[in-house]
Amino acid sequence: MSVKAFELVPVVERELLTGDKARINIECLECCGKYLYVGTNDCFIHHFLLEEQTIAKGSVVYLSQKLQQKHLGLKKAVSELKAASALERLIVLCDATIYVHDMLSLEVVPSGSAKIKGVLSFCVNENPVSADPFCVELGVISSRRRAVQIYTVHEDRVQLVKELGTPQQPCALSLDGYFLCLALTSQYMILNYSTGASQDLFPYDSEERKPIIKRIGREEFLLAAPGGLGMFANAEGMSQRAPVNWSEDVVGAAVCFPYVVALDEGFVTVHSMLDQQLKQTLSFRDGHILQDFEGKLVLASTKAVYMLVPLPLERQIQDLLAGNRVDEALTLTEGARRNIPKDRFQILHKRILQQAGFIQFGQLQFLEAKEHFRKGQLDVRELISLYPLLLPASSSFARCHPPLHPFADLNQLTQGDQEKVQRCKRFLISYLHEERSSEGQNGVREEVDTALLKLYAEADHESLLDLLASDNACLLADSAPWLEKHHKYFALGLLYHYNGQDASAVQWWVRVVDGDLQDPTRSDLFEYVVDFLSFCPNLDLVWKHADWALKREQKIGAQIFTKRPVDGDQGSKMNPEDVVTYLQKHSHALVLYLEHLVLDQHVQKEKFHSQLALLYTERVLALLSQPSSPAQALSQARSKLQRLLKESTLYRVQMLLGKIDGVDQLLVEQATLRGRLGEHERALHILVHQLQDRSAAEDYCSWAATPQEPALGQQLFHLLLATYLDPDVPGGVDSVAAVDLLNRHGNMFDAVRVLGILPEGWSLQLLRPFLTAAVRKNAHEQRTAQVALGLARSENLQLLHDRLKTRGGPVVVSEKKGCQLCHNTFSEPDCVCLPGGVPVHTHCAAQRLRDSPTKRRLENGSDHT
Amino acid sequence: MPERAKMRKPDVKVVILGDMNVGKTSLLHRYTEKKFKDTVSTVGGAFFLKQWGPYNISIWDTAGREQFHGLGSMYCRGASAVILTYDVTNWQSLTELEDRFLSLTDTANADCIYAIVGNKADLTESSAQGPVPEDGQGEQESVGTELRPTGGGSSSGGGGGGGDALHQKQVNQDDALALYARVLRYKGLDGMACPPGESLCFETSAKTGYNVDVLFETIFDMVLPSILKKRREGEPSTVDLEDCRVPKSIKGGCCA
Ligand SMILES: Nc1nc2c(ncn2[C@@H]2O[C@H](COP(=O)(O)OP(=O)(O)O)[C@@H](O)[C@H]2O)c(=O)[nH]1
Ligand SMILES: [Mg+2]
Repeated sequence: MSVKAFELVPVVERELLTGDKARINIECLECCGKYLYVGTNDCFIHHFLLEEQTIAKGSVVYLSQKLQQKHLGLKKAVSELKAASALERLIVLCDATIYVHDMLSLEVVPSGSAKIKGVLSFCVNENPVSADPFCVELGVISSRRRAVQIYTVHEDRVQLVKELGTPQQPCALSLDGYFLCLALTSQYMILNYSTGASQDLFPYDSEERKPIIKRIGREEFLLAAPGGLGMFANAEGMSQRAPVNWSEDVVGAAVCFPYVVALDEGFVTVHSMLDQQLKQTLSFRDGHILQDFEGKLVLASTKAVYMLVPLPLERQIQDLLAGNRVDEALTLTEGARRNIPKDRFQILHKRILQQAGFIQFGQLQFLEAKEHFRKGQLDVRELISLYPLLLPASSSFARCHPPLHPFADLNQLTQGDQEKVQRCKRFLISYLHEERSSEGQNGVREEVDTALLKLYAEADHESLLDLLASDNACLLADSAPWLEKHHKYFALGLLYHYNGQDASAVQWWVRVVDGDLQDPTRSDLFEYVVDFLSFCPNLDLVWKHADWALKREQKIGAQIFTKRPVDGDQGSKMNPEDVVTYLQKHSHALVLYLEHLVLDQHVQKEKFHSQLALLYTERVLALLSQPSSPAQALSQARSKLQRLLKESTLYRVQMLLGKIDGVDQLLVEQATLRGRLGEHERALHILVHQLQDRSAAEDYCSWAATPQEPALGQQLFHLLLATYLDPDVPGGVDSVAAVDLLNRHGNMFDAVRVLGILPEGWSLQLLRPFLTAAVRKNAHEQRTAQVALGLARSENLQLLHDRLKTRGGPVVVSEKKGCQLCHNTFSEPDCVCLPGGVPVHTHCAAQRLRDSPTKRRLENGSDHT
Repeated sequence: MPERAKMRKPDVKVVILGDMNVGKTSLLHRYTEKKFKDTVSTVGGAFFLKQWGPYNISIWDTAGREQFHGLGSMYCRGASAVILTYDVTNWQSLTELEDRFLSLTDTANADCIYAIVGNKADLTESSAQGPVPEDGQGEQESVGTELRPTGGGSSSGGGGGGGDALHQKQVNQDDALALYARVLRYKGLDGMACPPGESLCFETSAKTGYNVDVLFETIFDMVLPSILKKRREGEPSTVDLEDCRVPKSIKGGCCA
C-alpha cells in the first residue's frame, strides 16, 4: 500500500558536527536558501553551504561545506534558530534570550537593544499583516508570565508590539496573520492578537505529550491531537480536512503537499492529506527534528542532518499506476492541480486518466475505463489498436510513447480467453458508437467507422446496416474484403453504393438473389434491388439489370419503371416510349407500365391509351375464347377495359371496334365505343334492345353527358325516354322504365318537353317525384337569379355613389404616396380611385376586381341563370 | 470508487455524532457508496464531500471513541446539521447521546438542525431487513447488547411479531421523540419554530439501506435555507472570531 514519496538523503554527517563527542547533540536547525544553520547543545552555531546535485536517475545528493562555526559564549544550548533573509539576520534563542546575529558573519548585531529576554519559545510570522518587508514579526512565549508577545525585528532594533495574557501557560505557538495558534497546558487555542478574541480548539495534555503546531498554509494549522492524530484547524477553529492518524509519540511534523510527514521515535511516516492514508514509512532512529523550510524537508537525529527529498510527482503517480492503484494515482494527480502550472497539469492529468483507463480496461472494468478514457480525451485509436486487424491498413497511427499500457494486443491481454475477448469487443462497440455520436473525433472518423464496421460484421450486429445507410467514413479498401469474409453481401452492396459504386453493389446483390451467395440479411432482397434500380440514376445500370429482374418476376420487375420518381433530374429520366418498346417482350410488365402511364400519371398520349386498351381487349378476348376461364377473371378484365374506354378519350375507337364488333358478349363495350363515335342512338339501341339492360343505358347517358356538354346529356336522356316510349319496338311502350327514368333523373330533362310527350293517361301520382323535382329546380333557379340581380344592382348603386363623391375634389397622386393595394409608389399619373377616393394603380384595381368575391359570385350566378 | 477529496469549498457542514459502533461510518458509507461493508473503527474523524445539486455538502463522520471526544466540538463548529446516532438494540447508546455528545454541539450554528437516528433497524424490524446485499451471512453479534433494564420503560418491542429471531429492540421511536424534545430544550429552541420530531427522528439500517437515503436527503433539504443564506451573505465560513466573545465558562452552569 505504500508509495515512495520521499527519499532520505544525508546532508551533514556526524563527523562534520559533533564528531565522536557523545554528549554533543543537535538542538535546532534553520535552512535558508543554500545555507544550513545547526544549533547544538554546546552553544555552537554551525553554518553550512549546501549544494544540490542531481545524479543518475534523477536522484539528488547534497554536498555540504562548512562555512563557519560560532560559539555564543554561553554554557547553554542553542534552542531555536530562524533566519530573516531580507534583513540578513539570524534570530537565535539561547538561554531564554533572543539574540539577533548577522546571517553571514554570525556576529551579534551591535545594537544593544536587539535582545528579548525571558523567552520560552518563539516563531516567525510567515504571513504578516504588516507589509514592511524589512521587518520580521515574531510571536514569543514569555517564560515569566502567562502571556504571549508580538515583536517586530528590524535590522537594528526589536520592538514590542503587543502582549496578551493567556488563561494557561503556553508552551508552543505558531503565527499567521493576526492569528496565534497556541498550545496551552491542557488545550489548544486560537488567539487573535489584534482583537484579543480567542477560540478554543480542543483539549490536549501538553505535559503528557509534546504539542505540535505547524502552520501549513494561510490560516491553517496542523496540530498533534490526542489519540495519535494530526488534526487540521483553521483560524476559525474549524477542521476542513480529515485528520491523519500518525502515532502517539510524534515529535515533529511537516507538510509537503500533499503529504503530512511525521517523525516519531523510530520512523518517519508519510500520510496523504487527500485520503488520509499512510503512504510511506521510513525507519529512522534517534529522530529529533523534522521541519520544512521553503518546501525542503529537513530531518535531524541528534547527530546528523538529512534531507527528505520528495520524488517527482510524476514518478510517484507512475509508481501507483504500476501497482494498479488507480484511485490513489488519480487522487494524487488531482491533488496537484494547484501546485503545478495549468498546462502542465492538464497534460499530466490527461495522461494519467488514460493510463488509469487502460489499467481498468485490462481488468475488464469497462465502466470505469470508459469514464477515464472520456475524461482523458483518449485518442480512440490507442484503444482500437489493441484489437488486431481493426485499424485500417492505411492508417498512419502509431501508439503514443511512452506507452499508455503494457499490452501488445487483446490476445495478450486476455490470454486467449475468448469470452473475455468478446466482452472487450462488446465494450469497444459501445465505446465507438458513443464516440461517433459525440463530436470531437475529428481526423479519426475513418478509423472509428471502419473499426465499428468490422466489429459489427463480425458480431452479426444489427447496427451494421444503420452504419452503412447513414453518413459514414468506412474505408472501402479495408471494409469490403472484411464484409466479404463475413458473408455480409447485402452490407457490402450498401458499402459500394455509399462509395458511388452502384454497379458493384447490384452485382453482389444479384448473386445473392440468384442463390450463388448466401446472406440471409434480407429475405426480400429481390424487391430491394428492384426498388434500388427504380431510384438508380445510372440508366445504363438499370437497363443492364432490367431484363434480369423482369425474367425473375414481371410484376415486381415492372416496378423498376413504374416506381421511378417522376421529378428526377433530366439525366435520370427515362423516355416512356423507350420503356414501352423495351417491354414489348414482357407483356405483363408492359400492361403494368402502361397502366402506370395512363391511369396513374395521366399521360395524354394516344399511343399509350390505344395500346393499353388493345391489351385489355386482347386479354378479354383471350379469356372469352377459353370457356374454362374463371368468371371472376373475365369480369375483372372487362371492368378494367370498360373503365378505360369510358375514362379515356384518346384511344383509337375504330381499331378497337374492329376487334370487338360482333362479339355478343361485349355489348357494353361496343355501346361505349359507339358513343365515342357520337352514335348515341345506336349505342342506346344496343343497350336497351340488344342487351336489355336499362341501368346500363342510364349509366351510359350519365357518362356521355359530360359537364362540357350539358345539352348533350339532356338530349341523351330524352332519347332514352323516347326509346322507352316508342310503341314500334318489339315489346311496345315500356312505361315502367320510362317512369323510373323520369323519377330518377328528373333534373336531366326539360320538364316542359317531357310533359308534351308523355301519354295522356298517366296519373300525376305516378310522376310526382319527377314533377316535384322539376318545380323545385325551377323555383330555385328563379330565386338565385333574383338574388344575383339584386346584388348587382346594389353594387352598381354603390359605385355610382362613389363616383359622385370622388368627383368632388382632386385625386392627389405623387411619387411619395403609395398605392393602398400594393404599397408601391406611383410612377405614372394613371390611377383608379377605390370607393372613398383612395388612388390605386390601375393594374392593382383590376387584380382586386378579379379576386373580389362579388365578382366571383356574379360569374357563378350567370352560370345558373 | 471512493469520492476523491476534491479541493472544493463546502457550502455547508453536516456532522454525524454518536457512540462508537452504532454505525455512523456504515451509514455514511451506505449513503455515499450504496454498499455495506466491514468498517474499521474510525480514527479521529473522516469526511466526505457530497455534491448535491449545485451545492457542496461536507459530511463529517466522527469517532465515537472516548479518546477522540475532545475533537467533537471542533467538528461541530459551524455545523448546519447534526445527526445524533444511536443503535436501536442498545439503550446505552441513546443515553450516551444526551450525556456525552449533546454538549459537543454547542459550537454548531444557531440554526443547526438536529436529527435523531436509530440505526441497525434491520436487527429488530422485519420491514427494515430488506434484501441483504451480497455478503449474506455478514451479520455480527450486535455490539453491546447487554439487556439492561431500562428506566425509560421501552422494551415493549413495538416492531415484534416479525417471526425471525430478531434482536431485542431496546429503543422505541417514542424514546427518540422524547430525546428530540429534550435536545430542543437544551438548545433553548422553541419547539414550535423547529421542524417536528416526527420529521427528524429516523430508524435506519446501514446494512440494508433502509431509510438511509431518506435520512440524508431530508436533512439536505432542510439545510438548504442555511446554504442559501450563507451564499447570499457571502460570509467567509461561519464563526467570526471578532464577534465571538461569548465567555466559554458559562457552559458549566447550564443545567440540563
Ligand atoms: N446489523 C447491522 N449492523 C450494522 C449496521 N450499521 C453498522 N453495523 C455494524 O456495526 C458495527 C459498527 O459500525 P461502524 O459503522 O464502524 O460504527 P461507528 O463506530 O459508529 O462508525 C460494524 O460491525 C457494522 O458492520 C446496521 O444497520 N445493521
Ligand atoms: Mg466509525
